[in-house]
Amino acid sequence: MRRRPGIGGLQSAAAARDQYRLLGENVAKIRTDMMKEQLATFRNQLEDFARKHKNDIRKNPAFRSQFHEMCAKVGVDPLASNKGFWAELLGIGDFYYELGVQIVDICLATRPHNGGLISLQELCRLLCQRRKSAREAVSEDDCLRAISKLKVLGSGFEVISVGKRKLVRSVPTELNKDHNEILELAQAQGFVTVEEVEKRLSWPSGRVVDALDTLLDEGLAMIDKGHRDGIPRYWFPCVSSIASIVGV
Amino acid sequence: MQKLGEFKLPHFFNYPPYFTLQPVRDTREKQVQLWKELILDYCRTQKIFTIILDEEFPLFTNPVIDRSLSHEAREAFLSALISEGRAEWMDKGHKKCLVLWLRIQDWADCILRFVKDNGLEDSVMTIEEIRTGIESRGTELHGMDRNVLMRALRLLEHKGKLAIFKGTSADDEGVKFSL
Repeated sequence: MRRRPGIGGLQSAAAARDQYRLLGENVAKIRTDMMKEQLATFRNQLEDFARKHKNDIRKNPAFRSQFHEMCAKVGVDPLASNKGFWAELLGIGDFYYELGVQIVDICLATRPHNGGLISLQELCRLLCQRRKSAREAVSEDDCLRAISKLKVLGSGFEVISVGKRKLVRSVPTELNKDHNEILELAQAQGFVTVEEVEKRLSWPSGRVVDALDTLLDEGLAMIDKGHRDGIPRYWFPCVSSIASIVGV
Repeated sequence: MQKLGEFKLPHFFNYPPYFTLQPVRDTREKQVQLWKELILDYCRTQKIFTIILDEEFPLFTNPVIDRSLSHEAREAFLSALISEGRAEWMDKGHKKCLVLWLRIQDWADCILRFVKDNGLEDSVMTIEEIRTGIESRGTELHGMDRNVLMRALRLLEHKGKLAIFKGTSADDEGVKFSL
């Protein structure tokens, strides 16, 4: 296009730019509106769904876990705030806060026995035992969710995977790779011997003894010198369900 | 759950490392605590007053997991009871231990309660009657250790609640209550 000279040309170019801008703004606004509308619809649907299945969500752990999954997919966190609509509607926030408190309680009570490391399974079992009176059942998934909320407090609650098992750690001890491997080995029988670790993991004995000593010091292992063969065994209360024995 | 007669054994009794004195302090403290409770509980329900360290004692061995407590461990657990006033060595060599699942003071209270419940406030009884007589049947006093009973009675005598007197022979002692 040939550039048109004079003040008229400049003015018409500015007018065109304005027009374009207006149009663009319009389109963007329409898009946002549509988006808002969709989100509102979606939210309504989700609320309706939650309202309709309120009892299922509260009482059925499997259903609850699926509901959480659905919420996560669309970026809604029912636990994000206790004041939000979700908490009012479902009481879900309170449910997990309560669970969190009970989990802390159990971890503290069993700590002298297991050194602050407890298997998720065991924790869940103790939790159910303690909540016997409450009507809602609790799944491992619920435990994990409650624990993830505890992290906010910076109290060092953490879930670690050892082999196939999940362990909940309530002490700030850092377990290194060596310790993890020993714990994994111990899952078979509940205990290990120095010789067994040497053989299975092909470590020099110094490394084995070192790792086992640390585990003893941390209260995660107990030594047993009472077997007939005279070989000391290192037992790990956190991998046997024996943790329930004491103090809970 | 494993049982000894009517007595329910705690779970830890089946966990082998509890039969080895733990080297790490915190772990050992917990271990000692559990054993203390177990020993007191067992002695109370079975009315056992003396434990002889190197003799068979049902709690010191668990055939199910093939473990038994070492002499050192036995002594450690009993010493812990002693430091709390719940037991006493009966000899210098620490071979015999008197277990006080009730303290002497508690035994004395027990006697007073027994006297009041049975309207014996001004009566005379022999020591043997208190330990094995019909009146005490079904109470904590029945079958109690003679030495412990005498100590509780002497405590009460000191407080003026009764008078101990000797009969014709040494094992024929009696008490006159005066509440």
